[in-house]
Amino acid sequence: MPDGVRISFSDVAKRYDLRVVFKSISGNASPGEVLVITGPNGSGKSTLLAILCGLLRPTRGTVSHIRNGGEAARGEWRHHLGVVAPAMAVYEELDAMENLRFFARVRGIESADERCRQSLELVGLDPGRRTPVRGYSTGMAQRVKIAQAVLHDPAALFLDEPGSNLDPAGKQWLGEYVGGLAEAGKTVVLATNDRDEMIWGHNRVALAG
Amino acid sequence: MSRLLAEALAVTAKDLRTEFRTRIALNALGLFALTVLAAVSYTVGPYRIAAEDRPFLLAVLLWIVIFFAALAGLDRSFVKEEESRTAPLLRLAASPTAVWLGKLGFNLILIYLLMAILVPLYCILMGYSLVLVGGFVLILVAGGFSLAVITTIVAAIIARALTRGALFSVLSLPLLLPLLIFLIQGTTGAADGTAETVANSLRAVVSMGGIMTVVSAALFPIVWSD
Repeated sequence: MPDGVRISFSDVAKRYDLRVVFKSISGNASPGEVLVITGPNGSGKSTLLAILCGLLRPTRGTVSHIRNGGEAARGEWRHHLGVVAPAMAVYEELDAMENLRFFARVRGIESADERCRQSLELVGLDPGRRTPVRGYSTGMAQRVKIAQAVLHDPAALFLDEPGSNLDPAGKQWLGEYVGGLAEAGKTVVLATNDRDEMIWGHNRVALAG
Repeated sequence: MSRLLAEALAVTAKDLRTEFRTRIALNALGLFALTVLAAVSYTVGPYRIAAEDRPFLLAVLLWIVIFFAALAGLDRSFVKEEESRTAPLLRLAASPTAVWLGKLGFNLILIYLLMAILVPLYCILMGYSLVLVGGFVLILVAGGFSLAVITTIVAAIIARALTRGALFSVLSLPLLLPLLIFLIQGTTGAADGTAETVANSLRAVVSMGGIMTVVSAALFPIVWSD
């Protein structure tokens, strides 16, 4: 699959000063796969996800993104990945469409308005709604974050507890969407403790507490 | 290049839009500047300084007001990204150079807006007359640019620190003090009509701004990404 990204990590460890988050984690996620990262609270699921998408550097170990047969430079990872995580917010002062328009412009997406509308409609939000995200429910704000993550049709999607704050219908839609992405050859990395979300996965990396 | 410029303009436009909806930096800059201006004009006023001291002392007071107003508000664009947890998505979406240029553009607009309001008011309230108005405007433009370049890179460095408020002033002052000295010299020259002083100061200010621009462009991707 030419558009896919293989994410491979080996002997990855993370430590903050004296606190060891995890030691020697290895695994990989291939195009068409959903890799689930599980573990109790504080085991480092979000930290590992941040390392895999390039937002954090590991204390030890290597992470590589293989694309089109070659290893992508770390600085280029951002072009082929989308991320949804509780530690990452969109701009509360802007409405959903303004947020997406901004991310579309900095990503250089052509026909940005059309693409933004499609992404918002995909997650079940009204593109015409002019309320700033500050006035959204947490579930609606989560949908904006998902729309932002898929805006540029990334080859790899990183989801950290994506179903949190979503209603049952939203969770069901998300499960089907993630399944559809995998079928389309995308790589999905999912950090979760939710049993309903774990069943979306093909492979699993379990972190100890 | 045009892609980079488009990205940077998007960052500046986003910052302006969020700023005009929250007015956090505008209030910090504006309130500080206007309060100090009111205090200075009330206590010192246009007539309490001897005529021969006026070009120098009024230049000192003007740049002190501008500098400390800048220190009160120009760190907000980066600090706000970290505080509101929007920085990680910005890191993933935009290139580091575009973010730096965009934030620099935002700080330039803020500092020039501040100067456009503050300087005429200051000149009227303090009775500050200038012989070389063109030279004074050039000093303001170059000074505003250098000030924005320095505060932008320092704001990026301190944004992830816990004691960011104190750090911003502590790290900025050593970089800003030489600039302050040249700006005061240049403004004094513009007030008393010494074109050579204005030209020398302008050269120094432009050189400092240029050096800091090059250093910032090289340093920012490291500061922003790690």
